Amino acid sequence: MKLPGVQQTKWTGVAIFVGIVLIFPFVITQSFLLSQATFTGIYVIVALGLGLLMGYAGQISLGQAAFYGVGAYATAVLTTSYGLSPWLGLLFSILIPALLAYVMGYTMARLSGYYLAMATLAFGIIIHGVLVEWRGVTLGASGLYGIPQIQLFGMSLSQGLPYYYFVWTFAIVAIVICLNIVHSHVGRALRSIHDSEIAASAMGVNTGKYKTQIFVLSAILAGVAGWLFAHMSYSISPGSFTLDASIMFLTMVVLGGSSSVWGAVFGTVLITVIRIIVHELGETVPFITSDFEHVVYGLILILVIVFTPRGLFPPIAGWFTRIMKQRFRKNIEQTKAS
Amino acid sequence: MLQVKNVTKTFGGVVANKEVNFSVGKGEIVGLIGPNGAGKSTMFNMISAIFPPTKGEIIFRDLNIEKKSTNEMAPLGISRTFQNLQIFKRMTVVENVMIGRHIRTKTGMLKAALKLPSAKDEERKAYESALECIHFVGLEKVLDQQAGNLALGDLRLLELARALAVNPELLLLDEIAAGLNQKESKDMSKLIQKIREQGITVFVVEHDMDLVMSICDKVIVLDQGEKIAEGTPQEIQGNQQVITAYLGAEEMEEVKQGGGA
Repeated sequence: MKLPGVQQTKWTGVAIFVGIVLIFPFVITQSFLLSQATFTGIYVIVALGLGLLMGYAGQISLGQAAFYGVGAYATAVLTTSYGLSPWLGLLFSILIPALLAYVMGYTMARLSGYYLAMATLAFGIIIHGVLVEWRGVTLGASGLYGIPQIQLFGMSLSQGLPYYYFVWTFAIVAIVICLNIVHSHVGRALRSIHDSEIAASAMGVNTGKYKTQIFVLSAILAGVAGWLFAHMSYSISPGSFTLDASIMFLTMVVLGGSSSVWGAVFGTVLITVIRIIVHELGETVPFITSDFEHVVYGLILILVIVFTPRGLFPPIAGWFTRIMKQRFRKNIEQTKAS
Repeated sequence: MLQVKNVTKTFGGVVANKEVNFSVGKGEIVGLIGPNGAGKSTMFNMISAIFPPTKGEIIFRDLNIEKKSTNEMAPLGISRTFQNLQIFKRMTVVENVMIGRHIRTKTGMLKAALKLPSAKDEERKAYESALECIHFVGLEKVLDQQAGNLALGDLRLLELARALAVNPELLLLDEIAAGLNQKESKDMSKLIQKIREQGITVFVVEHDMDLVMSICDKVIVLDQGEKIAEGTPQEIQGNQQVITAYLGAEEMEEVKQGGGA
């Protein structure tokens, strides 16, 4: 169904991306890079939600790692201490972050500006505190051990190739869901709020409701990512869900650009590449430690905001389509000339 | 259809509207005029629930609306255009008008996310109704263009199309002809009359006297926040108080300027 003049999903883009994801493990076979690519899939899911929240609802969350952590701990606690199936764990990894976000979003809905940013910052710190201190449930700073692997069709999903495909299946479903939302009347309503909130509400758009819904969706996506992370790792500890991780997600979205779904994906991939480079340099250059990442993130945030506030994806995508069109035109001219 | 009862609005110490009373009947075209700063836009903003009146009641179809929020107006059947164009610039013409169909789409986030057949169906219907409104105002040639690139005349038409897409019973037009040339303004008059023929009540704030006098059944005159006259265009044109309000102000200006020189 084509509707001229309406932003719609370009499914060829999705197909090309799925192709790249499918082929990747055959081109790059080192297990370190494969596990990094699996992590990228998990981070993409978090970044997608944060991207929608920032680009479409115009809100910033500095606590996305907290939802990610709650998702991971929900399933980890239930599967280790209570012996639940990981698939039942998934239900709780979705429901608990969603509920927390709903309560926060509901109270925040009438506020605008940076209140949500501040509230989520505080929320992130509180959740980290809870994970460390609530030893009876989370076993404190040392973390939880013995998280079971996910069973799928009688097969145990272990790290490596199976888990890579498992994670990316979720990531691609998340991408499609986000594309659908962005290109539905919900996405349109959210875009209209950006240009004129007063006209949007005069047309009957309930701005607060959509902001809350997008916030809940971003928490659900982070929760699912947490679930994937927990069952990939044998153990988890609060250290993975600090403010640093929230800043990393934020950097991914800002770098890629929050005005399109692909921006979040692009930013996540770039940041992962940068992390790998920093890691490699750390092996040889003495002053580069893992903390060096944060210096890089800070630098990236400043440079992007100064030079390309819409992120890298929109200008690069525009440049790419222009080049392709020129090529196309040249080809036609050449065939005409000959 | 619409009743404004003893409405007063103050901003700090400034009185924008003072105990204004009037009513708009079903199927009428009513004009609200007055010199600059008379409180016309303030009145419109209260009727469309952008902000509440300080005192008084606004009743639409037996329902008090003065305490409702802006986004509740469209479902009730009140829709509007904006004098200082509130176009969604980064969206296309047809997408702008589709926002007008927003309240008729019931698809929630979940259905939209999964793109269920019902969501697709609604999207197509919204698109078709938007197209109807675009054809009605005559913007079909630019329907897929970015709204930010349109000329002023087309932007006014786009505001009108978007407001019509709501399927309103009461349409508020805030200086819809401002900045239009004579021909465009005439076309706009014809459009407004066509809209009334569809049974929609039209309430206009307008500076373009030709437009007001040629299409309105009733004219209400505000001056310095107070209603000074109400009647048919002929009555208003002959009303001494109205003439003083419009001309008197200018004469006073001239006297003052003359005295200063």
